[in-house]
Amino acid sequence: MLRHYLTMTIAVLKRRPFYTAISLFGISFTLLVLMVFTAMADHGLAPMAPESRQDRMLGVHSARMYGPQSSWSSEGGYALFDKYARNLPGVETLTIFSGFQTATTYLGDQRITSNLKRTDGAFWQVFDFTFLEGGPYGEADVKDARFVAVITRRTRERLFGGANAMGKSFEADGQSFRVVGVVENVSEMRYIPASDIYAPLTTAKTDAYKRDIMGGYHAVALARSTDDLPLIREEFNARVARMELPDKAYKALVAPFETRWDSIARESPFADRTSPERQGPKLTLFLVIAALVFVTLPTVNLVNVTVSRILERASEIGVRKAFGAPTRSLVAQFVVENVMLTLAGGAIGLVLSALVLRALNQSGLFAFSAFTVNARVFGYGVLLAIAFGLFSGVYPAWRMARLHPVEALKGGPSR
Amino acid sequence: MTRHLVRLIWNRKRQNLLLTIEIFCSFLVVFVVALVGLTYAVNARQPLGFDIDRVWVIDVGRPRGPIGETDKAATAAREAAEREVFTGLLAALRELPQVERAAGSFTGPYVNSTWGSGATLTDGRQIDYLYNRVGDDFIPLLSMPIVAGRGFTREDDAAGDDPVVINAAMARTVFGDASPIGKVIPQKPDPQRPPDRPAEKPKRVVGVIEDFRQHGVYSMPGNVLFDRLRIDVPDHGVPDRLLIRVTPGTSAAFEPILIRRLQRESADWSFDVSTMDKLREQSVKTYTIPLAVLAVLAGFLLLMVMLGLSGVVWQSVTQRLREFGLRRAAGASGLSVRRQVQVEMAVMTTFALIAGIALVAQIPFLPRPRELVLVPGIFVGAVALSAAAIYCLTLACGWYPSRLASRIPPADALRYE
Repeated sequence: MLRHYLTMTIAVLKRRPFYTAISLFGISFTLLVLMVFTAMADHGLAPMAPESRQDRMLGVHSARMYGPQSSWSSEGGYALFDKYARNLPGVETLTIFSGFQTATTYLGDQRITSNLKRTDGAFWQVFDFTFLEGGPYGEADVKDARFVAVITRRTRERLFGGANAMGKSFEADGQSFRVVGVVENVSEMRYIPASDIYAPLTTAKTDAYKRDIMGGYHAVALARSTDDLPLIREEFNARVARMELPDKAYKALVAPFETRWDSIARESPFADRTSPERQGPKLTLFLVIAALVFVTLPTVNLVNVTVSRILERASEIGVRKAFGAPTRSLVAQFVVENVMLTLAGGAIGLVLSALVLRALNQSGLFAFSAFTVNARVFGYGVLLAIAFGLFSGVYPAWRMARLHPVEALKGGPSR
Repeated sequence: MTRHLVRLIWNRKRQNLLLTIEIFCSFLVVFVVALVGLTYAVNARQPLGFDIDRVWVIDVGRPRGPIGETDKAATAAREAAEREVFTGLLAALRELPQVERAAGSFTGPYVNSTWGSGATLTDGRQIDYLYNRVGDDFIPLLSMPIVAGRGFTREDDAAGDDPVVINAAMARTVFGDASPIGKVIPQKPDPQRPPDRPAEKPKRVVGVIEDFRQHGVYSMPGNVLFDRLRIDVPDHGVPDRLLIRVTPGTSAAFEPILIRRLQRESADWSFDVSTMDKLREQSVKTYTIPLAVLAVLAGFLLLMVMLGLSGVVWQSVTQRLREFGLRRAAGASGLSVRRQVQVEMAVMTTFALIAGIALVAQIPFLPRPRELVLVPGIFVGAVALSAAAIYCLTLACGWYPSRLASRIPPADALRYE
């Protein structure tokens, strides 16, 4: 049966190549856009190094203090995590590290600006970096404030011309560090562990950060299992709710442990930032609606082209109806035909999106991005094509199947 | 004739409704691009208000004090020390032969952070403005054109009020056509002021600058108010930035010299230099990249719509051979048949546009974020521009099929029946 449908589809598509080309252009462009966004989201959100264990990770990436008149939002402070996030139930490892800090290095009169992250030793256990040379610094290095650093492949290229960097020293922002390890570059889309240089927390120019509950630091907890995530979230929220705020102008502190998607959603315009509740579902809903709005025009366009071609099929429909084919089976046939058309368009879209993604990677718009059409993105692409085919196929199929057999045999209704 | 055409369109209402919906959606797409594009185009014609030639900016990172420090004396001592360091930095910069001018400032041109403030005027109006606290050298350093009055100078040291410089737009908003120089901004006291903080001094206008559009040529012009930074006064805080103008011919090789000089002044502070050109490039990108992505998407969508509409109209012309043939046989000219197809397109477009305009006309009445300013002229212009574009698009789609329709030989068409 399906083979018969397939033969029919190809016959119909070959009958009027111009219209087929119009339809395919619309379909492949629409799916191209959806797939490029899917691939970018996949590259930013799916578990991969150095966040392979991300399904067991929760992090605090923003902190907000509220008072009756004033509010203050920034990253959390070291003291907040050091005092309140240690020994949370269900946590295997907790790491505290700084947000982006820029560091400048001068080689002769050449100026190199790098991102510097100051971390504790546990950072290297929570995130699984790929080491090209050497290894991470440990808790002892952090404790003794040793000026050691792990750098990325690009930093090695920029500072040492790509040669072996182990044990060599470099200067960043007036401080001198000795390289103990080199890791693979991290995509900018992985903005939590991404940096160019990693150094122990204690190498900060002053230790003022140790007293702050607001500003400049992140904490990421690696849970024992995914079942422990709600427990960690609730326990930390409860501890934060009980703590005494140092500034009387503020009444509440909101700094929840969240998944990355929830923390991205927290920065979106429709999030409720005053609540420690999860914000991710709202953003997901918004994006689904945005995607539906985007596909409306292509859908209407495809429906129009298909409906205008109904009469081509009039005699076929008339004969099938005259021999007693039920409307249901005709609808099924036309919907399947439409899905096959969108799958063909999807295949073109997939090839094009691979090209677009490669161009995006080369453009450097997102540092070290490696957008690809992997198996997962391919799967999403197929699903999107099928959904688009169903979405745009039902109405024309219904119209076709409702043609009156006598009129259809005569060549269609005189509309 | 028109009634007849409307009836013909009505007879094919299902197909035509679908086409109308498609035109309606296309209108919305074009409208969004037109609104953003037109806003940029109008903004780009407004004066920028400063010149960044040879200007560099140094971000100054200070070790932060503890949050919520309760020991008032300790805070005061720490801040006094920081102010002293900052004064030292300014003096050190001014001694360097490559530095023409140096000024402290909280934000600056193309700097990512924005400091906004607002006030309630005595007549009840609420105004928002872009705020900055700048050193005396800030205005001449950026060659900012002064429309009336003067910039900040040493004479202001003795002033009892707070001297401020505002931009022309703010002068118009607050004082109308009257000269603002020497007048105090008529401002109600802040009801949310904590009781332990001293009342604000009146703000007396000493000068009016043309403008200061911090985020560049595409940004929305608005009100601007500058306070005078006095590094020797406790309440003024310590600025986050140092702006310098270097002498002509100074190259990037000067950067490390500059940084080392500053580091020598204060080892535990951190400094990050960038040239204004680089900051501008980044800042402009935040405006142009979203528009470019939007325009490319809209362009492809419209190309798809054009192909689709042409195809559908073409198809319907070939299906209506008999109708057109009959009209030709009854004496209608080719031109008249051709016009019929085009008028049908135009009627559908009109219906789609009425619906589309009715929808976008709701936007000014909907709640929206404060950053999203709608200028009535630009909004109406965008509606007109996109409506015109859609008419052109649909008529272009009808052009070839209508020519086909007019060329149908009546005899052939009738024989077909």
